[in-house]
Formats: sequence, C-alpha cells, structure tokens
Amino acid sequence: MMKKLILLIFLGFIAIGVKAQNNDFKSSKTQFMIRGYGHMGYESIKTNGNTESTYDGGSFSPIFMFKHSDRLMFESELEFEINEGTLEIGFEYADIMYVLNDYMTIRGGKFLLPFGTFMERLHPSWVNRMPTKPLGFGHDGIAPGSGVGVELRGAFRMGTSTVNYSFYNTNGPAIKTPNGVEPAEAGMLAFNNLIDNNNSTAFGGRIGLLPFANNSTEVGFSFYSTDKVGATGSPYENLGANLYALDFSFVKQLPSLGGTFDIKSQYNNSKIDNIVYTVEEDPGVFEDLNFDNQSHSFYAQISYRPTMSGDKFLKNLEFVYRYSEVRTPEGSGFESNKQESAFGLNYWISWRSLIKLNYQSITGEGGHDVIGSFDQKGVFLHWAIGF
Amino acid sequence: MKTFKIFGVVAVVIGILTALTLESCSAEQVAAYKNKSGAQLWGENCIRCHTTPSPAAYNDTDWDTIGLHMQVRANLTKKQAKKIFDFIKSAN
Repeated sequence: MMKKLILLIFLGFIAIGVKAQNNDFKSSKTQFMIRGYGHMGYESIKTNGNTESTYDGGSFSPIFMFKHSDRLMFESELEFEINEGTLEIGFEYADIMYVLNDYMTIRGGKFLLPFGTFMERLHPSWVNRMPTKPLGFGHDGIAPGSGVGVELRGAFRMGTSTVNYSFYNTNGPAIKTPNGVEPAEAGMLAFNNLIDNNNSTAFGGRIGLLPFANNSTEVGFSFYSTDKVGATGSPYENLGANLYALDFSFVKQLPSLGGTFDIKSQYNNSKIDNIVYTVEEDPGVFEDLNFDNQSHSFYAQISYRPTMSGDKFLKNLEFVYRYSEVRTPEGSGFESNKQESAFGLNYWISWRSLIKLNYQSITGEGGHDVIGSFDQKGVFLHWAIGF
Repeated sequence: MKTFKIFGVVAVVIGILTALTLESCSAEQVAAYKNKSGAQLWGENCIRCHTTPSPAAYNDTDWDTIGLHMQVRANLTKKQAKKIFDFIKSAN
C-alpha cells in the first residue's frame, strides 16, 4: 500500500514537472535573441621594411534581435575590437523594421547601407573569405558603410528573375576639413555622421537583379548623392557629393569542376565638388591644396571549394584569391594609389566557423600617414566563428 | 539637381533591366520558378553570401526570428523566406 502511495506521489511530481516544462517552453510571439560573430588570429606584417608580428586580440560582434511580431523587429549590432592595443567599441547599426507587405519593408534608425554588397552582406568575419577588407573599404574607405535615416526595401519576382531594391534617405556624410582632427584628410568624406551637419540629407539606393532562375548571378547598381557635405556656415557647406557602385556576384556548384565557385566584385566611384583646402603643414606654414576630388576603388574575389569531393578534409578546404585597388585624389593630403593581391587557404570546421591562412601584398604610393612608396607584405592566420 | 540626374540614371537602368529580364520567359519556366521548394531556395539563396546553415543549429522559435532578420537583410520576398524557413524547421 505504501509502495503504491509513493509511486502515485512520484508519478504526480513527474506529471506536474512535465506540465511546468511544457509551459516553460511554450513559444511566445515576441522573441529576443543574441547572435553575432567573432574572430581571433595571428598576423605578421612587414610595411616598408618594418615588421610587426602580433596575436590579433580578436573581435566580438554581438547582434541583438527582438522580434515583436511576424512583421515588426528591432536589431542592433555592436563591435568590440582590440586595435593597436586599445579596446574600440563600434556601434554598427540599430534599426527598427516593419514588413509592409510581401514586397516592401520599411526600416529606420542606423542601418547598414546597401552601397554595393560588401559592407552590408559580406564584411562579417565568418562571411568574408579573407581576414581583411578589400582596399577602399573600412578606415579611410571611399564607400559608405552605414547611415542614420529611413529606408524602403524589398524584392519581387519578374518572370524567372528576381529584382531587389532599396531606397533610403540619411543624414549624409560630412567632409573632413583642414580644421579637423586630421587636417591631411581635408576633402575626404566621413560617413559616420550621426547628426546632420547642414540640414541637407543624402539620397541613395541600390537595384539588384538576379537574371537567372537558379539565382546564381546577381548584378547591382548603387548610388548615393547629397547636395551639401560641409557644416552650415562653413566655406565647405555647399559642396555636393555623388557616389555610385557596381557589384557582381556569381555563386554556383559546378559538377563538371567538382565544387562550388564564388565570385564577388564591386567598383566604387566617389566625386566631391572641388574647393581649395588651406592646410597648416607646420606651425605658421600654410599650403593650398587644390585637387580634383575624385576617388575610386575596385575589388574582385574568386574562391573555389571542392564541395563534391569524397574526401571529408578536401571538401572543407577553400582556395581564395582577391585583387583590390584604390585611388584617391592626386595632390590631396590623402593621396594614394595602391594595389593588393591576396591569396588564401581556408578550412571550414563547420558551416559557420573557418580558419583562414592568408598572404597579402599591397604595393603603391601614399595612404594613411604614408608619403611616397608603400610596400606591405602580410601573413594572417585567423579563426572566425558566427553564432 | 545632381540628385535628380542620378535618379534619372537609375530609372534608365531599371528600364533596361526590366526589358532584359521579361524577354523569353515561357509559362512553364515561370511556373517552375514559382513552385521551387524550400530546400531548393535554401540551397540557392543562402550561399549567395555564406554557407548553407545547418537546420539543427537552432530550434523552430529561433529560426522564426532569424527568418525575419534574413528576409530583410538578404532581400528575400516573403514567400521565399517562408518556404526556406519552413523547410529548415521541418529538417531540424
């Protein structure tokens, strides 16, 4: 009798536990989730004869996603990175999005700009097949990465093709001036303009076309334009800027070649109205910089992964090559003309984690804090993961 | 003025692309395109940027959140996103 009673009590506890567990795991409409990516690595870089080797302290980029309903969502990404021994915290994006219908979504806040595809889609360390960005992107880059404003975007089918689009209005860029932190960069655009400096916004957008039914190929055209880039009341207020980009992507598993080919490319062009910048070279010594403020950059990357190989190790290998170049205005304080060739061998540990062994060579002239010729050779070993 | 010029260029580009893509599409091809399975769309679209995700990596609730995020980020239509994430949830 006692045994039966104990058994009944025991079964009762199990039933209560199961019920409680069911309640605990009942999904709700609102969901909060943290995803993101990070990397660590080792780098040895020789620049104009000086070698620096160091472990890369890595980066941690958490992405916060709050799904309020099937239509409404908030997302934000932060970036923690150790750069030259100092912790840097970046505020990549924070935006609210609302799905208006099957083909239109509106979002507002700080969001990644679809100027080409690299910065919006390909820059995360577990997505980028190389440990670095191509020339022309990132610090001192000529392409905008993010902006504060509103955007309308979406996609629709057209025959057996797909068209995607994005149009946005943001605070726009600010121009760096001789009175700024880095006078040598006078005439360069700063895109992290969190507060509008001149009551003139920037319009931009991208049209992408996937012409083939198998979605293997995408071509895109992007533009970004503003009538004013200087601060209100400054001599630079009425300078305008027009930027455009062309991008191309081809990704397909080709049975005849036993693997998957991935080709990516983007061309960026930036034109800012001309003006003479008077820069103080040394205390009391001024120089007028008069130059045609036009810049461009380009990159093309091809990778091959023998995904159809019967050998497990071989099918996780990936061979990558990238060429990139950047040209900034001749006669400016930030004049540069550089070309990069990079070779990479990646090993995919899982679908979202890879080890990258990479050799990069950058040659040319000028660049950040460099006068004259520039020669850089680097070996990188990075381990990246998305989560 | 410059902004309007840029918009004009974009309008022309859109027109050319539209004309090119509407050319030579048979009804059968369009039907096959519209009836693609979630598995096929998963294989075709995810690798445009990153490797195809393992369905087992997250539970259904998490995939719903990721689905909305990717629908917007990758510029998928709502129908494409639904098919892809219904497939992933059926396979995890």
